[in-house]
Amino acid sequence: MEYAVETISLTKVFSDWWGRDKVYAVEDLNLQVRYNEVFGLLGPNGSGKTTTLKMLLGLLYPTKGKTVVLGGDGADPKINARIGFLPEESYLYRYLNARETLDFYGRLFGLDRQVRKMRIEALLDMVGLTAVANRAVGTYSKGMARRIGLAQALINDPDLLILDEPTTGLDPIGTRQIKDLIKKLAERGKTILLCSHLLADVEDVCDRIAILYGGKTQAEGEVKELLQQTSKRQIVTDAISDGAVEKIKQIVQAEHADCEVTSPMDKLETFFVKTVAEAQRQATPTSGAFSTTQIGEFLAADKAQDSILDKLVSAPAGHESLSETPKTEKVAPVETSEPKPDEQLLGRLRTAEPATPEKQVDTSEVESLPDAAAGQEKIKKRVLDQLTGKPTSGDKDRESSDQGKAGDPGDA
Amino acid sequence: MRSIWAVAVNTIRQALRMKIAAIFVVLLLVLLPVLGFTTTGDGTLKGRLQTFVSYGLSLTSILLCLLTLVASVYTITSDIEQRQIFTVITKPIRRFELLFGKLLGVVLLDAGLLVLFCAIIYGITAYMPSFYAATEAERTEAANEFYTARANLVLPDLDVSKEAAEDYGKLKATGQLAQFYPGFSEKEILDQLTKRRRLEKRAAPAGHELLWEFENVRPLDPGERLFIRFKYDVSVNPPDSYVYSRWLVGDYRQIKYGTPIVTPIYEPPMRKDPIRTFREIEVPADAVAEDGYLAVAFLNVTLNNMVVIFPLEDGLEVLYKADTFTANFIRAALLILLRLIFLACLGILAASFLSFPVAMMFCLAIFVTANFSGFVLESFSYMSDSVYTVYSYTLKWVIWLLPQFDKFNPAKFLVPGRLLSWSLVARVAGLVVCVRGFLMLLLGLLIFSFREIARIVV
Repeated sequence: MEYAVETISLTKVFSDWWGRDKVYAVEDLNLQVRYNEVFGLLGPNGSGKTTTLKMLLGLLYPTKGKTVVLGGDGADPKINARIGFLPEESYLYRYLNARETLDFYGRLFGLDRQVRKMRIEALLDMVGLTAVANRAVGTYSKGMARRIGLAQALINDPDLLILDEPTTGLDPIGTRQIKDLIKKLAERGKTILLCSHLLADVEDVCDRIAILYGGKTQAEGEVKELLQQTSKRQIVTDAISDGAVEKIKQIVQAEHADCEVTSPMDKLETFFVKTVAEAQRQATPTSGAFSTTQIGEFLAADKAQDSILDKLVSAPAGHESLSETPKTEKVAPVETSEPKPDEQLLGRLRTAEPATPEKQVDTSEVESLPDAAAGQEKIKKRVLDQLTGKPTSGDKDRESSDQGKAGDPGDA
Repeated sequence: MRSIWAVAVNTIRQALRMKIAAIFVVLLLVLLPVLGFTTTGDGTLKGRLQTFVSYGLSLTSILLCLLTLVASVYTITSDIEQRQIFTVITKPIRRFELLFGKLLGVVLLDAGLLVLFCAIIYGITAYMPSFYAATEAERTEAANEFYTARANLVLPDLDVSKEAAEDYGKLKATGQLAQFYPGFSEKEILDQLTKRRRLEKRAAPAGHELLWEFENVRPLDPGERLFIRFKYDVSVNPPDSYVYSRWLVGDYRQIKYGTPIVTPIYEPPMRKDPIRTFREIEVPADAVAEDGYLAVAFLNVTLNNMVVIFPLEDGLEVLYKADTFTANFIRAALLILLRLIFLACLGILAASFLSFPVAMMFCLAIFVTANFSGFVLESFSYMSDSVYTVYSYTLKWVIWLLPQFDKFNPAKFLVPGRLLSWSLVARVAGLVVCVRGFLMLLLGLLIFSFREIARIVV
């Protein structure tokens, strides 16, 4: 269970009709994707990226070697229940509308009606298709289909998300949103294996990458390590006077190094997003998708937490008094991104520590509860604690700042 | 289970929304009433009813069979070709569950449509007498011969193979084989001898009688009537082509053992019937003993001066109303449903390894063969010995795997108002669905489970 995804000398040979070997699509591939990491599989067309993903999920059988996904076989339903998969194109049933599509996939995961309903609405809102949710998916544009495809991959709140070129067909804003979403999901403890040839996308979101060519790994490592030019330095300053620039140049020349001074350019993407955001503020009508970029609340950082959340939502009329139910609902939206603990976790994972400290913290918290009341009360309290973060002194401040973040569209 | 149901619902949605079912539904909704108003048959009410039911049921059956094949093959092959299957089987559903879901969806769709169309056919047959303002005589005839479910008891074929073999032995010992049967094979000679022996058991020389005993006769109501339907063959044609006869119908054991007469024994007056023509004797149904025993005796009166023979296939049968038309109709619909289930299994098998056009051709070939399998099987039995041996070890098994649709055609029972018994429905269910359908489904599941789904074969 050291890696979320591992391939061991994975090989796929496509043979022709007579059984003669024809194409080595993947050859002796050894990949390791760690838990809670965004891993990018890069490569030109036909380099074996999609073939690798298909072998991970049991859609193709390896000629040689094996794959381990979440500690098991990627074709095993128990493992499948924890995976979200977006294929290279959103293959959808054209005759279903968005809601029916998500409901169908939700049923395949055996989700209860109430849970399905809650998640479908959250996901539709997240991918910005609420307004067109009752239209047949067959009438959607490619970008809209991509969004619904992504939504279906998230309906089970997966631990591992396998995305095959998630941003193809999306406009720059959609691309930006997907990238932000991937980051947020990673913050929530998901492992993401992403496969693309759009380098800008990968560069922005991935922790580690592997470059495939001809079915073999050509390079692998952390993005920063691979891209950082250790032979050069860059200094970014506010607008300073020409005199100051001259002084700096002199210092650099004293070190016998070259120096170039320019004004940095905005990325076209940033400019585009800014422009469209401005148009949106002026409420220019559009027939396309409109996303709130609000991440689905059920996409929890921790599996156990999520299932309890679902239980609370799905069974509001238990033996608990009704007055307490709104309390959970009111608190639930607060459960948004919590950068601090997650970054700690990320940091630990980068230093290859297999432990998952979050869970340990949880149990200690539950055990240290002052009064062990009824079981239901205990669970609820634990969830509330988790949602609002650690019950420390700075708790209140953090909560309010989180709320502000979640509501701010500029965050995206 | 939930995922199977989800797939089933999706399959039904697909068939309805992709308008696969729509074409068949519209066609039937238009054609059935048109048939109801245009069929005339022989001009009588019974004729109209028979023609309508025959055409109506056959049309419904054939169109639903085609729909089943198209729907079951399409739902799987389109998933594979349009690759929705990538997002489906990577969810926690096993491949066999996916196929079960598809099967369930197609069968449920079939069942729903079958109920709809059978209700239409039933409604039209029920109101047909009022539409045509039929006369009282026509209504009685229809009630007796159409709106009924008559069971028929036929004479059993006795086992005479031993006697036939003895005859053959005698002929061979005396060297008469070549004289009587020049150029015949042993099998052909034995067939002829067997037939002769069988006819002997159904022949009565002048002044002799024949007695047949039937068991398990269960008329629906003792107040109804029994019909003895027969046809004569004779050794020498009488000058006026008529046969004189006396009949006894009832519990013969009362006479045999001399017990007091409890169930009435009927003795119609001396009859005069033409030869080689179907005739019916009508007797009250209370002639049947309480334990379901009934005897029919025929006396060839000396007046005739010739041997009277009841032909092998249809020489004599006893008919009685055993159930209502409605119950019979429901069973006929069930028979169609069983056929559809089999075809759905066949479609799934074909789609598990073939693309849409190829799978459709494969299914249609089997469907057509199944419709004529009785004819095919029969034609093979006239082959020479050497070919027959090869056939019996190869093709025979393949053809056995196909159901005999022509043998279990529901119209064959409803048109003459014959009883379609539960036991026959159960037998068809067992043979067609449980054995053959299940075998095909199992094979399909196996192929599909081990198939590389994402593999593109060109």
